[in-house]
Amino acid sequence: MRVPYWNIDYGFLIDILAIPALAVFLSGLYGHYRKIRKGSERLKTRSDKLPWKFGPVFVRSVLTKGILGTVIYRKFYTGLAHGSVFWGMLVLGLGTTLAFANLIAKVPVFSGSFNRWFMAFGLDLAGVCVLAGLLFFLLRRLFPPDRLVTPRERSGFFPMACLLAVILVTGFLIEGMRIRASAPELGSFVGNFVAGLIPGSDHITSYHRYLWWFHGLLALAFVVYIPYSPMVHMVLAPINTALADPRPGPKMGVIDFSRFDDESGEEMPSMGVAKLADFSRKRLLDFDTCLWCGRCHEVCPAAQTQQPLSPKMVMATLAGFLSANDFTDDSLADAIGVDALFNCTTCAACMEACPVSINQPKAIMKLRQNLAMERSELPELMSKAYNSLEQRRHPFFGTGSGPKDWQKGIDVPIFAPGQTEYLLWVGCAATYDERAQKVARAMVKILSAAGVSFGILSKPRCTGDPAKQIGNEFLFTEIAQENIAEFDELGIQKIITLCPHCFNSFTRHYPELGGHYEVIPHSVLIGELIAARRLVPEKSDESICLHDPCYLARRNHIEDPPRLALEAVGRLVEMPRSKRESFCCGGGGGNYWSESSGVRINQVRAKEALDTNTDVIATACPFCLLMLTDGAKKYTEDQKVFDIAELIAARLNLN
Amino acid sequence: MKIAVLAKVVPDYEVPAGDFELAGNRAHARYTRMIGLYDENAIETGIQLKEKYGATLGIVSYGQSEDVPILRKAIAMGGDSLHLVLGESDDPYVIASNLKIALEQLQDVDLVLAGQQSADLDRGVVHGVLAEMLGCTFLAQISRIESDQGRWTVCQNHESGSRMLQFSGKAVLSITSSPENVPRIPAVRAIMAAKKKPVEKLQGTDAPPMQVEEVKVEIPKLESVCEFLPFEDMQETSRMLLARLREERYL
Ligand code: SF4
Ligand code: SF4
Repeated sequence: MRVPYWNIDYGFLIDILAIPALAVFLSGLYGHYRKIRKGSERLKTRSDKLPWKFGPVFVRSVLTKGILGTVIYRKFYTGLAHGSVFWGMLVLGLGTTLAFANLIAKVPVFSGSFNRWFMAFGLDLAGVCVLAGLLFFLLRRLFPPDRLVTPRERSGFFPMACLLAVILVTGFLIEGMRIRASAPELGSFVGNFVAGLIPGSDHITSYHRYLWWFHGLLALAFVVYIPYSPMVHMVLAPINTALADPRPGPKMGVIDFSRFDDESGEEMPSMGVAKLADFSRKRLLDFDTCLWCGRCHEVCPAAQTQQPLSPKMVMATLAGFLSANDFTDDSLADAIGVDALFNCTTCAACMEACPVSINQPKAIMKLRQNLAMERSELPELMSKAYNSLEQRRHPFFGTGSGPKDWQKGIDVPIFAPGQTEYLLWVGCAATYDERAQKVARAMVKILSAAGVSFGILSKPRCTGDPAKQIGNEFLFTEIAQENIAEFDELGIQKIITLCPHCFNSFTRHYPELGGHYEVIPHSVLIGELIAARRLVPEKSDESICLHDPCYLARRNHIEDPPRLALEAVGRLVEMPRSKRESFCCGGGGGNYWSESSGVRINQVRAKEALDTNTDVIATACPFCLLMLTDGAKKYTEDQKVFDIAELIAARLNLN
Repeated sequence: MKIAVLAKVVPDYEVPAGDFELAGNRAHARYTRMIGLYDENAIETGIQLKEKYGATLGIVSYGQSEDVPILRKAIAMGGDSLHLVLGESDDPYVIASNLKIALEQLQDVDLVLAGQQSADLDRGVVHGVLAEMLGCTFLAQISRIESDQGRWTVCQNHESGSRMLQFSGKAVLSITSSPENVPRIPAVRAIMAAKKKPVEKLQGTDAPPMQVEEVKVEIPKLESVCEFLPFEDMQETSRMLLARLREERYL
């Protein structure tokens, strides 16, 4: 039977020292809490009842993303190394707790097969796993991938990993010395091996004693230093995942502008965010939790095309203000760069890739809202789109099309209250852009062929989504409220959208303004109509690759229905980045109206699609259609990009 | 310093030619209404003068009550007050006489700014007539204005260059667009505040119109003629395209 604190006098002192160490540790954590509490809003809890949700805590998320770290394993080797360190440390921590339990309550952990298989073998194995994982991380810090060092690297991981490695190595040495001075121990395969390497000496027990204290004190130092180092992510990451609403996308919500009407208040709240104190507590927790791992940087379409934006840079800059306790400096947007903030396409690829559930686009959009609404600072083309939206209620300034041009030569019913089932919401792109108009025409053909009861508004409207993406929530709210009033008047309950941005606005933002509808994206409806055999398109051997619009696949998890529709007319081929990992077309976040220079996102994506060598590139969003059509022009003169509706309509035999 | 900017609410000036239609010799009522293009440049110029010299800025318009929500944009941009003379005439003399009522009400206006021409009728006459009525200097196509010890220095833009001019006393200036006077986007708080600002509505006068009769209004019919150029040698095709465009007087 193993003797606890073998060869150590007053070993319990290390347990006593653990008390102040724990106090410093907790005080460090309290420091984080105090900073986060300076945020402008408390955590908003969703009122709807969800399974696995208790108060503000999303239990399933904390178990999967927070503790199991499921997202980390998307990078296999990093995931494996992280898993080895995390689970290894957990087992070692348990071992230490059991040893303490043995000391104070004589829990028999050092005898029998439990000692052999857990306290000896199990803990040695855990130690080896942790060391192997640490070795991986240390090597990776020495030879870092681009994402770790761009735009800058977080200091603090390397020394903490070294410290932990020293603790582990000294732990094995102590074990080896104990075994060398006593007898080999069943199960302690590392200890026995190390013991074999240690030369015999009269001083071995003295060395053991010194090293034991050194090891113990180092371990306490490690614990003390956790809240003051990047290792605090061990605590913050599970909390952040627990509090992050697991619905996909940034969940921008709407702004109640009546708050700004009361000018008698001492301090007017800011529209959007100008200074750190304007951010909600959850956002501050995001900045504090960020690991600077750069996974977001790696998938960000803006960062990958050498534009000034990098979501990691945004997080790192804001974390800098947070750690400096600088809550009043209103130059956050300038510190990040106004151009960078407008580069964001709101594609949410960063959120999807983030291992600790950080909502980067929301922080970016909040800063953008302030630029748009308080500082009236917009890039030139976006400001033209904004002006057009404000004056004409559509953003397609300079369009050569009238509102009814797309209907020329076809019969399009107008929504009749009490008679028509679906409102076909055409949206601004399919109304005012000549190329996208073909999508609306194709959809009319499809709906008529399937015998769906549908009608359009007599006067075209825009959801206001471009205003929201540009950052002007006020204009969005105005437009949305006008639409809701008209829908109420017409008794509209069901809406078919041609554009995923409209779908997203109707389902995510309109309900918060009082507009509740059953909304279905056209690609989903087409899939359903085919499944119900209300549409029987002709199948061909044409190969088709699908570009998943961010606002369908990533932001609303609609991935399979468009594929089902396409499989009815051709042979589907997947792009390397598809479904939730789709790469943006570059048109989101108002960037359809942007002057990009250098490498262009739409060209990168079009190239990826063309490289599949399929006959056709399909998509299900008019903005993606326009961006990819434009992007593909760099590589081919052939018209290869089509909307799902166009592909299906072309294969309908209407005789 | 007191500045007044004349702003006119017009039908959407960007309606595509193919979609444009007349009703009663004027743009169809279905088009969205907005402040004229050059008038916004004039408002922006006025705001910049207000910011630079601490002037007060009145926005003066001639039109109907329905124009008020649209004109509030000028207040949101930075105007101090809004004065609307009610009336419906298209006659430049009638319009100028009515605008004069509001300007006299404002008292001691040093400078009247107006877009170089309205975005609907494109005449560019009202400000000249108004200057005549007010008995003050009139300068057209102005892009920059500075004030120094009671004298104004202005930059007059021409197609092929510019002229710096100086004068003192009151003036009416027609403003052209330039990179310096791109209209600002009003901040949301300013839009909200502008909605609450009282508007001075003045009864218009029945001034005698000019002795001119509108006989007929026509808009060009949009015709598209498609011509294919042979494409064997890109340079040759470009040359041909250039020659054809010149021939048809597009260039
Ligand atoms: S935001 Fe997430 S993905 Fe990006 S650097 Fe921070 S932790 Fe990594
Ligand atoms: S939402 Fe898209 S564009 Fe914006 S920061 Fe994230 S990855 Fe980049």
